[in-house]
Amino acid sequence: MQNPPKLVVLSIDGVPHGLLMDLMEAGQMPAMAGLCERHGQPRMMRSVLPTISNVAWTCYATGRNPGKHGIYGFIDRRPGTYEMTFPNATNLRGENIWQVLSENGKKVFGMNVPGTYPPRVVNGILIGGFLSPSVAKAAYPSQVSAYLAGIDYHIDSDAQLARRSKQEMLGNLDITLAKRTEAMFHFIQAESWDFFHVHIMGTDRINHFLLGKYLDGDRQFAPAFVDYYRKIDAAVARLLDRIGPETPLIILSDHGFCPINYEVQLSKYLADTGWTKPLDDAGGPLSFDPAGTKAYTLIPGRIYVNLKGREAAGCVQQQEYESVRKQVSEDLRKLRDPEGREVVKAVVKREDLYWPKGAYGPSDEPGPAGKLPPYTLGPDLVAVPHDGYDLKLGLTATQLFVNTQLEGMHTYHDALLLARNVPLDESYLEIRQLAGPMLDCLGVSRPEEMDLANTPAPDGVLPAQTESC
Amino acid sequence: MDKISELENQSIYLIREANYHFRNLAMLWSIGKDSTTLLWLCRKAFFGKIPFPVLHIDTSYKFKEIYAFRDEYAAKWGLELLVARNEEALRAGMSHESKLECCNALKTNALKQAIAKYGFDGLLLGIRRDEHGVRAKERYFSPRDEQFKWNYEDQPPELWDQYKSRADEDTHIRIHPLLHWTEKDIWQYVKRENMPFVDLYRAQDGKRYRSIGCECCCAPIDSTAWTVDEIIEELEMTSAGEREGRAQDKEDANTMQKLRALGYM
Repeated sequence: MQNPPKLVVLSIDGVPHGLLMDLMEAGQMPAMAGLCERHGQPRMMRSVLPTISNVAWTCYATGRNPGKHGIYGFIDRRPGTYEMTFPNATNLRGENIWQVLSENGKKVFGMNVPGTYPPRVVNGILIGGFLSPSVAKAAYPSQVSAYLAGIDYHIDSDAQLARRSKQEMLGNLDITLAKRTEAMFHFIQAESWDFFHVHIMGTDRINHFLLGKYLDGDRQFAPAFVDYYRKIDAAVARLLDRIGPETPLIILSDHGFCPINYEVQLSKYLADTGWTKPLDDAGGPLSFDPAGTKAYTLIPGRIYVNLKGREAAGCVQQQEYESVRKQVSEDLRKLRDPEGREVVKAVVKREDLYWPKGAYGPSDEPGPAGKLPPYTLGPDLVAVPHDGYDLKLGLTATQLFVNTQLEGMHTYHDALLLARNVPLDESYLEIRQLAGPMLDCLGVSRPEEMDLANTPAPDGVLPAQTESC
Repeated sequence: MDKISELENQSIYLIREANYHFRNLAMLWSIGKDSTTLLWLCRKAFFGKIPFPVLHIDTSYKFKEIYAFRDEYAAKWGLELLVARNEEALRAGMSHESKLECCNALKTNALKQAIAKYGFDGLLLGIRRDEHGVRAKERYFSPRDEQFKWNYEDQPPELWDQYKSRADEDTHIRIHPLLHWTEKDIWQYVKRENMPFVDLYRAQDGKRYRSIGCECCCAPIDSTAWTVDEIIEELEMTSAGEREGRAQDKEDANTMQKLRALGYM
């Protein structure tokens, strides 16, 4: 049998700090509770803005701000056009932690982490996650795919199934988790790994589709929800058993979750307020008339000014840029739900998110639109909603506020972080900073291009009770 | 009989059936390897003299090699060549900046115009089932309505080689004599028949095209295959899709479907 890895990371997508605490307290996750008893309580960690998995995991993996790595969401516009494109690791600037470690002679393993498809070449194995098109294409080296296909490995649970039947979704989540753990225990003993990271996506899925039912104590689905988390705990128990009591370990999520009051059709709101002019037969979020569109949005809450010289057919002059941003921000802040409650709690400017101080040299100023890609590809504003308002697109929607099968949405302030034998700073960490202590743990120096310093959350983004912590 | 001869027999049978059933038949020729194979088979079916016109939908953005090949062999083989272009859209400046719109105007609408002008009731096409997921659902005789809508859930059954070749007024029928061929079959046939093909399929500077069309929307693949034998050998090694170099690819559609289910679209 091989030695246990030098550092193990188990990521459970979208598990909020509070939910884990509740489930441990209720005795539903004894393995996690035991771990916390010996190594300290889990901490709250900050995610990224906008709060979405592929951006959060790309920040984790590169230690870079999105203004440097270039991944801003699941959807983007193809540079120089208004066509939709789906950014993946091909579009990612810079190296991920598996590559950095590989160059330092470390043996690395990564499985299912969002944003890692197509897999980069590493000294070890890297298997893509959500949005990998097929098992055959997901893995580096490609021979690994044969093993995965052989056990009928699932890259991700089928969310379309969840739209049809939550019952069927549960079965599908179970199989996906079982295959993931089977592969995890196969690979962990195959090699003496330095770095071993396995990701579980199903927690995000079950939170999206069943969080409301769990919180409401639904007779059928609340117990099923808890059961799924018990299975996660069982996988943790087996993992702890396999790696022994001392192996450095991090368990984390990339964002928190809260129940949805309404999904908000933000593209429609921008159309209603005159910022976006949809085409008559609009098909997607980018089906607008560029001549009549001063600003548009991409999910979630990313606002782009249709700036002349930067956008494919921009109609906003440079000198108008600040006033457009100001007016759009004001309109966003005015948005109220059908019960009269405020929807958007803060609107953050791009330079406050994507321009980490000093990252581009001391004399570099972002300027009105920025000069360098990938910074220039980022949104001009990010709308941060109050908990419960999930910002969507819906350019041709008939209603501004809707409810669908989705029951949960992402939150920024309450990702989960638990570490054993990996020294961490005491501050309210951001997921982007973890690359630092992980590299330290493996004795590899931190690359200069990483943005590992703690940056305060923009004004008005954190809930009142966490401001002080 | 070997497999290639069987494929050839079946295709020639379908071509002759089509010619018998339709008053006003035409064949679509994109000058690519598949429709050139279809053209070759049509010539064989009628002993060198094709009794219907050959229609080229010209977007004006094709590779220059394609135009040269078309003109050379149209003359050599005595084809009744019709070229359809959506002149109005081209004058209006339609280009590939918006891919879907451009394909729609310069391919789909150009074909609609040609059908209206010449009154074709049957069209022979060189599509194959293995090209693309949705083409697996195609039939040999496939009806389209006036708007070109294809309802794949409502198609006539085709059992024991009994084909439904009649359709309502206002529809035309597409006939796909190569439906059962694979990409490799095509190249083996090209080799056996010593058929001419556009040189773009041959590697130059480490790249070649596996699928050709408009210059702006095709990307070459890494390859060193120059001869037909090398192309066949390369196909045996690869697992990548034939149309991978084409824009509008399947992966995006797949991604979109997943994101939609999660509410990200």
